[in-house]
Amino acid sequence: MNEPTVEQAPRVDRAQYVLAAVLAAVGVYTLVDARGLNVGFGDPVGPRIFPYVVGTGMVVLAALLAVATARGDVAQGEEGEDVDLTSPADWVTVGKLVAILVLNLLLVNVVGWAITGALLFAGCAWALGSRTLVRDLLVGTVLSVGSWYFFYVGLDVPLPPGILDGIL
Amino acid sequence: MTIVVGYVPNRHGEAALDAGLAEARLRGGDVVVVNATRGDALVDRRHLGDAAAAELEARLAGLDVPTSVRRVLGADVAEEVVRVADEVGAALVVIGLRHRSAVGKVLMGSVAQRVLLEARCPVLAVKAG
Amino acid sequence: MDNLQLLLDGFQSAATPTNLLYAALGVLIGTFVGVLPGIGPAMALALLLPLTYGLESTQSLIMFAGIYYGGMYGGSTTSILLNTPGESASVMTAIEGNKMAKRGRAAQALATAAIGSFVAGTIGTVLVALFAPEIADQAVRIGAPSYFAIMLLSLVLVTAVLGASRLRGFIGLFIGLTIGLVGLDLSTGQARLTGGITQLVDGVDIVVVAVGLFAIGESLWIAAHLRRQPLDVIPVGRPFMGREDWGRSWRPWLRGTAIGFPFGALPAGGAETPTFLSYVTEKRLARDRDEFGQGAIEGVAGPEAANNASAAGMFVPLLALGLPVTATASILLAAMKTYGIQPGPSLLEDQADLVWTLLASLLIGNTLLLVINLPLAPLWARLLQVPRPQLYAGILFFASLGAYAVDQNPFDIALLLVFGAVGFAVRRFGIPMLPLILGVIIGPLMEVKMREALDISDGHLSGLFDEGLAIGVYVLVVLAVVVPVVVDRVRSPRTPHDQPGATTEREVPR
Repeated sequence: MNEPTVEQAPRVDRAQYVLAAVLAAVGVYTLVDARGLNVGFGDPVGPRIFPYVVGTGMVVLAALLAVATARGDVAQGEEGEDVDLTSPADWVTVGKLVAILVLNLLLVNVVGWAITGALLFAGCAWALGSRTLVRDLLVGTVLSVGSWYFFYVGLDVPLPPGILDGIL
Repeated sequence: MTIVVGYVPNRHGEAALDAGLAEARLRGGDVVVVNATRGDALVDRRHLGDAAAAELEARLAGLDVPTSVRRVLGADVAEEVVRVADEVGAALVVIGLRHRSAVGKVLMGSVAQRVLLEARCPVLAVKAG
Repeated sequence: MDNLQLLLDGFQSAATPTNLLYAALGVLIGTFVGVLPGIGPAMALALLLPLTYGLESTQSLIMFAGIYYGGMYGGSTTSILLNTPGESASVMTAIEGNKMAKRGRAAQALATAAIGSFVAGTIGTVLVALFAPEIADQAVRIGAPSYFAIMLLSLVLVTAVLGASRLRGFIGLFIGLTIGLVGLDLSTGQARLTGGITQLVDGVDIVVVAVGLFAIGESLWIAAHLRRQPLDVIPVGRPFMGREDWGRSWRPWLRGTAIGFPFGALPAGGAETPTFLSYVTEKRLARDRDEFGQGAIEGVAGPEAANNASAAGMFVPLLALGLPVTATASILLAAMKTYGIQPGPSLLEDQADLVWTLLASLLIGNTLLLVINLPLAPLWARLLQVPRPQLYAGILFFASLGAYAVDQNPFDIALLLVFGAVGFAVRRFGIPMLPLILGVIIGPLMEVKMREALDISDGHLSGLFDEGLAIGVYVLVVLAVVVPVVVDRVRSPRTPHDQPGATTEREVPR
């Protein structure tokens, strides 16, 4: 933990400006959205006040964050058991994971969870650096088919079978 | 002449190390002990930790064979062992073998097998006694 | 005691073979996920919420209680063996526990943690049984203004007092409040913040929010910063304690319980403070102070007991006031709500059976935890060898499944990814998660109480100050905001360029 000193050239965490902008936009949207609400007769409070408070607070916080950032405030990422903050962020891996999650989202109702789930597991493992693709596919299939049956039999929640309709 | 030993801290690794040292005495060479890990689990029993590495180095220092210990972190354990062998121009790679069941052979990628196939020098595969 | 009689009745309904099975299952699953790196109790509960869809309410709550205690125990196992506290509550345990383990006393450290957790959890749960009904009795008489004030106090305490940066705490809180706004306004039936998306009119499902924030956000964050170096693990035998260890442990257990329970019951959130206090207390009272920092068993026994006692204490505000004070409690609250159970003062009257069964099963789960986990410790330690790619692939798999199973609608997976992105950003910018998740849960409750109070006063702000209790609580709110600021100023008067939002002020891991 290094205290920022006066001699140091102020490091500016540019990404925090983006965060402040997003927060401000959310706050403004909250305010605009609240303005469009109708307050009924005989309702002294109405549905507007709370969003007004929240939206205003958000805008103020966004401004404070921007000021703090300009003064050299730097975000300290969250640490954890498996987190190594000394290395730069690995955006390739994150991108791969998001792509796989989105693929699952697009395909799940078409081909069914039993298939996309297996692909999801194997794909994520691959993206995270696993080299044992065959084993991951096997494990993923066991998990996805197993969870399908668990929900169907155990919890009475039938997940759409997709193209495996009639086989499962 | 350099002999590379693929080492893991268990009896298979020790068997390989013993064989490697014996070969080095016969041929009059030095031994490079390699411990490679993918580093992808919180705990890897086949990884040589700091304390264990220091212990191993101390043990090897007392021997009549010149030795060095290398710990490498890489995506593939077999590849790393072969890479080190290439780098030091190894005359021989020594690895330990363990017994594997039929199911195990299908599911697990074998490091030993990959080293046998990919190394560009003779490979000595040793079984723990 | 009346309450004890009711608790005994609770035992009778909890001790059916099926319920015992669910308790055992919960404990095992909880420990399993707790030991796995990167999964804390809150994430475990969020991931397992979908399991409740098919279960009957009593059974799923019993299972959840087991998961909760099991997850905490699992967390302490990892801290002791690897010195990697998975959550802030285990930080103190890790200090001495890992040192003990390195000196070859892993078995004793695990044993004192497990037995201490059992002692603290048991006493704590009994205290909940004694206090919660009394508080609920009082709480029935509390009006909307005071309720609003108490919720405000809870949010302010969590946001402004805990954590490193007040600015970031409030940002987290307001993100949470905004998420809580999405959906229909209950009294006028108008959609808010839906952006015209019809699926959002019903509000966002808390399972999707929690799983997105915790599981997806955490996995992506870890994927971006994956640690590549394995750690040295310490071999564990079956945990046991010698005579001397018992002698040195039992007082810290009791002291830890005494410190932990009130903190858990207060709306101040989390076990961070009590575990720290317990550690300091034990260090001060220790006969051999020099042993601290080198693996003193008291330093494991005390904080671990404080951790579990505060986990039990958390049930007091949750059951009696409907007020969650930790991330885990807010997910428990969400689970209860999926069954139409509304925790709060009237819960103990409306659903008395359920509450007493829950408390009894907490005690049963706690005992099972001890019986099951002491012999299984070496097995749990092996879980640490699961390779990270498969581990996080599994988490993403179950997270997607959980969101999809809510409604079998891919839209929920999309929403899950959105909250995953929020969870990622929150970690990237060091924004604390606790105010955020409490904002999501408490925000809507607060709005209801605020409007109730203001309706009575016909819209005049005085309606919020209508009760003596409310005014008293507001004073505390002001103190909670002002005191830390003043303390900061007094402590460091020579740093005028001290940024309001610098996270470097204090080393408080979340």
